[in-house]
Amino acid sequence: MAVVELPSFVRQDGREKVTGTARYSADLSTPGLLHAAVRLGGVAHARIRGIETARARALPGVVAIVTQADVPDLRYGTWVRDRTLFASDAIRWEGEIVAMVAATTEAIAREAAALIELDLEPLPPVVDLEAAIAPGAPLVHPGWAAYDGDARIPREGNVGSRHTIVKGDAEAALAGAPVVVRERYVADGSHALPIEPRAITAEWQGDRVTIQTSSQVPYLARTHVASTLGMPEGKVRVIVPHLGGGFGGKCEGHFEPHVAALARIARRPVRLAFDRREEFLAPDHHRERMVIDLATGVDHDGTILARSARILIDNGAYGADEPYLAQLAAVFAVGPYRIPAVATESLVVYTTTQPTGSVRGPVAPQVTWAVEQHMDVVAERLGIDPLELRRRNILVEGDEGPVRQRIGANGAKTALERAAEMIGWGRPLPADEAIGIATGWWPSFPGPSGAVVKLNADGSGTIVTGAQECGTGSVMALPILAAEVLGMRPEEFTLLYQDTDAGGWDAGASGSQTTFNNGRAVVSAATELRERLLALAAERLEANPADLELTDGVARVKGSPEAAIPIAELAAEAQGGRLLIADGSGDPPAVPEVDAGGCVGRLGGESFAAPCYFTQAVRVRVDRATGVVRVLEVAAAHESGTIVNPIGAEGQVLGGIVMGIGQALTEGTQLTPDGRQRNADMLDYKLVTAADAPPMRVEFVQVPDPNAGPRGLKGVAEPPAVPTPGAIANAIARAAGTRIRLLPMTAERVWADLADVEAGR
Amino acid sequence: MSRYLAPAGLEEALVALAGGARPVAGGTDLVVGVRQGRFPIPDDLVAIHRLAGFRGIAEGADGGLVIGAGTSHAEIVAHPRVTRDWTGLADASAIVGSPATRATGTLGGNVANASPAADTVAPLLCADAVIVCRSTAGERRLPLDGFATAPRRTLLRPDELIVAVELPAPAPGSASCYVRLEHRRQMEIAIVGAGALLRLEGGRVTAARVAMTALAPTVRRVPEAERILLGSDGGAAAVTAAAEAVAAAATPIDDTRASAAYRRAMAAVVTRRAIGGALARARGETVTIPASDTLFGAA
Ligand SMILES: Cc1cc2nc3c(=O)[nH]c(=O)nc-3n(C[C@H](O)[C@H](O)[C@H](O)COP(=O)(O)OP(=O)(O)OC[C@H]3O[C@@H](n4cnc5c(N)ncnc54)[C@H](O)[C@@H]3O)c2cc1C
Repeated sequence: MAVVELPSFVRQDGREKVTGTARYSADLSTPGLLHAAVRLGGVAHARIRGIETARARALPGVVAIVTQADVPDLRYGTWVRDRTLFASDAIRWEGEIVAMVAATTEAIAREAAALIELDLEPLPPVVDLEAAIAPGAPLVHPGWAAYDGDARIPREGNVGSRHTIVKGDAEAALAGAPVVVRERYVADGSHALPIEPRAITAEWQGDRVTIQTSSQVPYLARTHVASTLGMPEGKVRVIVPHLGGGFGGKCEGHFEPHVAALARIARRPVRLAFDRREEFLAPDHHRERMVIDLATGVDHDGTILARSARILIDNGAYGADEPYLAQLAAVFAVGPYRIPAVATESLVVYTTTQPTGSVRGPVAPQVTWAVEQHMDVVAERLGIDPLELRRRNILVEGDEGPVRQRIGANGAKTALERAAEMIGWGRPLPADEAIGIATGWWPSFPGPSGAVVKLNADGSGTIVTGAQECGTGSVMALPILAAEVLGMRPEEFTLLYQDTDAGGWDAGASGSQTTFNNGRAVVSAATELRERLLALAAERLEANPADLELTDGVARVKGSPEAAIPIAELAAEAQGGRLLIADGSGDPPAVPEVDAGGCVGRLGGESFAAPCYFTQAVRVRVDRATGVVRVLEVAAAHESGTIVNPIGAEGQVLGGIVMGIGQALTEGTQLTPDGRQRNADMLDYKLVTAADAPPMRVEFVQVPDPNAGPRGLKGVAEPPAVPTPGAIANAIARAAGTRIRLLPMTAERVWADLADVEAGR
Repeated sequence: MSRYLAPAGLEEALVALAGGARPVAGGTDLVVGVRQGRFPIPDDLVAIHRLAGFRGIAEGADGGLVIGAGTSHAEIVAHPRVTRDWTGLADASAIVGSPATRATGTLGGNVANASPAADTVAPLLCADAVIVCRSTAGERRLPLDGFATAPRRTLLRPDELIVAVELPAPAPGSASCYVRLEHRRQMEIAIVGAGALLRLEGGRVTAARVAMTALAPTVRRVPEAERILLGSDGGAAAVTAAAEAVAAAATPIDDTRASAAYRRAMAAVVTRRAIGGALARARGETVTIPASDTLFGAA
């Protein structure tokens, strides 16, 4: 029997989740609760001539129906206000919500939603990304010049946002380069697909609404409700019960205002719970389709001289957070490499398909998949080992980055070499197996964040945080940071983390930012308490606070354990006077200076604060007859600064790799020619399962970054999903002898490529 | 609102069926189908999974096997006679869904559901299975060959229950195998699959069964392929020709899961592998159950 080593840290929400007692949004009930159902557009593109709700209203059990006519006439959108809560003038993707019904049962609500009659005039679908930007293409938003929005977003036809990095003269450098490789890669879309379809309950008390929602970002959801319903944020309270995953798909506001508006009309609490198909089609966070053109000029010795790129990115029907994310694509097109001349461009393209937006490491997996395959092609052309090509060009301390930022101390090169060593790069393998490698980087996102830490009279602690736990365990790990500062044990802290009326503001479970930013808030609050405790102890011990330490649950004179007072005793004493309670926020680390030409620096973040660097190496086996690829082994070396919760960090890497395997091989949104999804169900949208998880080895290269989170930590959650598809692609190319330039690299695509090779096509 | 009857015994269940109720065993097809909106939930359901004698595997007098219709896939794979003498069935039951599906889903449900992609049907066809049906009017024994008439249609009458699946004793020197194309390792639905049973005597194939899955409106045998194998030496030429015969007999569809061209090409591949696995087993070699996984990458 194998000996299982117990982890050093056990998450507080683990027992509830594992034993099935944890309550999620759809489990909550309240007296008088009504059930909501949505009516989705059902077609990719049409003008709405009329919406007739009379038959639906007549159905017994129906209490209220809400359409755009019943909510304030306000547009919303993070960058361009291109959207209303409900479609009213046009339907721009099949999953766009037109109306919502409240009824006494879910079955009645669904039946009524189907009875709503839509009078539609078909409009031409806009699906293909190239065609969408061609002159004369039908416009998704003909009137969008008149929409309010961020002045930094250019508006040209269906181009929803455009970002470029111009450094040196890339065209000239390409023209003069001894070897130039030009290629195109095309990626299908994919889904975040959390296990829990979203559920939202809204209940009004007077002019205040309380919303229980499966959101990754409760404060952003609150802002969304207030701004779309035209009410002050203080009147909106957002609570998130246990969250059944999000993977980015539950970022930004989603349907909370719709349910709130419906509950107000119905004068009763209302709950909306999506079924799986709705969870596929209706959210506005789909991983982007892309067309990626890359060109690289290299010297014979493998020195990269220039990189140019043009990336078309699907925006879908409305711009959620894609206009911002697209600028990152222009950076990822360069990769974590030292390249003197750069001209990369990313265009966000409106189409009549599902809006795109953050899904774990948005834009990075697809671009990195293309760039890392491209690196292997360059290596092949030069006759250089792909590992060696990367080693020669990877960013090291002191280098100039893509936007002329100074690169700080980092573990990029060590991670590259460790991943190669771990997998046994270069070892002999059977003919149908091969090893591939891919490297990458991903920024941390500094931002404001708040937390309160208090000590109770029994010496236990409570952390009230604005951060949201989405399943990654990052909120669960906050006690580690507080305990460290206070000389206590993590188990001595309880957590309250899911109520916008309680914790400080936080950007939510997005951008791998929880430990990075909220960790700073918790440390800052705990540090204040530490000083208070030391002052109390100094008085009791008649010592100088500077000579004291907090350790093992006591305050004591450094080095003399006899002179110690339990923290619990100090906390009990404080209960009789000034309470031990402190709030923290701290100053977010600065983002490096940008000094390059082009349109970078417009929306912020392109210069990558505290970037994580990572390399994954995979061994695959290709079944040549069927095209089926099996990932047999993965070695992952990640630099995320200091690792404060090793078991949690490792879990993120393992999960990211498995998600990456799915994106590489089986997960892809299939569209009809008119832009509707053909596989909006879990039978045909193929997630990989635990059974597909290969043996994985994870190592952290720890290089603390002084300009990062507490103890020099960086984000951990998104990076692991970034390099996996590229590593698998390179392994497939070596094992199969043909390179797959379509993502996902499905068995049928591999098979078709192999058949082409055999037929000499 | 539908009614759910948990009968005390077989007779009570049959009476309920005669009264128009629909049987539900593991519910892994029925409940999922209702949830997906493929059909409405029946007004009257009669639960049969706890019926005495309905679940379990018994040895027949002639060396055959009688598998209760309520036997789960997990129980089938765990049975030593199945894994020794009906390896093709074990190959199939071992890959149905996930561990949870195999613990709940039943053999009778898989057969009665008559999906063109049902995994156990090809190996059962190869084993010359007989379906034992009961109603208040009595018992009928129908050969599985021809039992399914169209997708989700069978010869079963609405008032009849499948009570057991009978497998005649395997001929000495024979062995079977089932192979399904798998893009992921669990929760897969057959894109294509093939079952084969071969009997080898003195280096000659003296009995051959080949059946294909998800390549026609029903899972069915392919006599053309069987004829090619019969009397052959089971060598590469015969195996390839039989596999091509299956590809030619297939009427594959184009859908989200695969193109018809890919399916047709894969029909030949999985058939080759299924025949290869059955031949290897007939020669006494070990092909681990489930074969789909071990034959990955084979010719
Ligand atoms: C996640 C998942 C994965 C799956 N994977 C596979 C797979 O890999 N391969 C595969 O072949 N199938 C698969 N299935 C389908 C299903 O699990 C099997 O077909 C299973 O064997 C059905 O058995 P059941 O007892 O659950 O049938 P039920 O759902 O109870 O019944 C199915 C149908 O048969 C009828 N019926 C059931 N028992 C009898 C009986 N004794 N007599 C008469 N009629 C009867 C019912 O009325 C119903 O119409 C999967 C299903 C799910 C949900």
